[in-house]
Amino acid sequence: MGMVGNFSITLTVEGDRIVKAVANPGYLHRGFEKLMELRSWIKNFPMVCRMNVVEPDSMEMIYSMGVEKLAGIEVPERAQFIRSIYLELARVGSHLFGLWAYANMLGFDTVAQWAMYHRDLVLDLFEELTGGRVYHIYIWPGGVRRDFPDGFEDRIVSTLHSIGGCVPDYDNTFFNNRLFYERAKGIGTVTREDAVAMGGTGQVLRATGMEYDIRKVDPYAAYDRVPWDVHTRTDGDAYSRIWVVRDEMIESVHMIFKLLDAMPKGDVYNRIPNPFKWRVPEGDAYVRCESSRGELGLYIVSDGGDSPYRAHFRTPSYPHGLTVLEKALVGESIADVGNIMISLYVVAPEIDR
Amino acid sequence: MNGSLERQLDSIFRDIQTDVADDGRLRVRATAESVLSVLKFLKDAGCDYLQLVSCVDWVEQDQLEIVYVLSRYIREGEQPGDDQTRVVLTTLVPRGAPSLPTSIGVFPIAEPYEREIHELFGVRFEGHPRLTPLFLEREYDIPPFRKDFDTRQYVEDLFGAVPPVGEES
Repeated sequence: MGMVGNFSITLTVEGDRIVKAVANPGYLHRGFEKLMELRSWIKNFPMVCRMNVVEPDSMEMIYSMGVEKLAGIEVPERAQFIRSIYLELARVGSHLFGLWAYANMLGFDTVAQWAMYHRDLVLDLFEELTGGRVYHIYIWPGGVRRDFPDGFEDRIVSTLHSIGGCVPDYDNTFFNNRLFYERAKGIGTVTREDAVAMGGTGQVLRATGMEYDIRKVDPYAAYDRVPWDVHTRTDGDAYSRIWVVRDEMIESVHMIFKLLDAMPKGDVYNRIPNPFKWRVPEGDAYVRCESSRGELGLYIVSDGGDSPYRAHFRTPSYPHGLTVLEKALVGESIADVGNIMISLYVVAPEIDR
Repeated sequence: MNGSLERQLDSIFRDIQTDVADDGRLRVRATAESVLSVLKFLKDAGCDYLQLVSCVDWVEQDQLEIVYVLSRYIREGEQPGDDQTRVVLTTLVPRGAPSLPTSIGVFPIAEPYEREIHELFGVRFEGHPRLTPLFLEREYDIPPFRKDFDTRQYVEDLFGAVPPVGEES
């Protein structure tokens, strides 16, 4: 199961039908949460992003939000906008990656390569901004590391226009394709009741019709400064989930344009104490944000020391890849296992941490 | 919503402590005996979203703290953000014999969280159907996420040597 990360599922089958599915995570368990307890607050930033390989930026954001909440640090307005733009670019990149995985799984190799190419254009933007294509270490407590380079905003707009200009091609080749409809309609259905009982969020929940998006439920960064819509479908099957992904990608692109227009000038970070000697006040906090997979939360505890006493990441793939997957696979055909797994939008490194 | 939940909890349960924090979040401290009843009450009162079950090792107090983070999904006719129900429920168990009843009957999603806490911290959840290892492959004398699990000693025992740190190599 390389496309979602190293993960395995043990299936009990009768002929072609699955009777029981048992998820086996653990191939990517690196013990990050324990390792974080042994490193200072600032030294943990390169570690947290490696928990989710596909969208590391939301991990940086959630860790930063947790530390800021414990330490009482404010973030300047311009930095909030930059964070939102940065996170939405990451969402576009992550959805393109998910589209690569899903289209490949169904055999639409051409569309998958287009998605990977367009993701590469987004990664070029990240490389210009932060020096790294995948792991950026750009958000830190108090704001972001540096301001946009000159002309960067124009390059964001032109990159997004070139990706957006290909949406009709994507629609004609994949999203409106009868083959996608036949392969995904009614497959891997997760009902609203099941999603609610099993802690589902993100596309798994929005494909059942609930407009649950942390950016609206618990607004953070600059998401409440511009108007935007939450996209839902009603059937809860793989077809609906992938359509929600497509709609969200397009909404993110529009959101970036609006954020760029509304972004004020100003500082991009507030000074924090000397990071190498920083002791965050005692306390605990649960913060959450909307990663491209669903609700990403962090329960962080400080005992007043120079490293986290406990950091527990509540990743969206944890309920989706363990409990929801085991239920959704029962009664389905072996041929649809990959289809369902990727449509549930699971990223294995997030489950194991 | 959190204020009225606090009043209801205080009127029903004798052995809990509640307070509403500055950020509006309701904090409930329950005993190990009452935590399952409090969870059932919160679920019936509308907290149908168990976001996280976590564990913190307070080694100096010789206790493990189990933390339940709850909120509420959106109902018909509500807008996202209307409801601000946020609850953090905690309970303490002794490190020597940590045991709690399972919450799977109230929240099915608790199953993997409790399994992970059992594996990494050693807490037994009575009634859990599958307390088998989730991530790890070998047995450990001390559950690995506890504070007295020495990671350097573990590396030395397993590999026979610890890589030099900060030395010329």
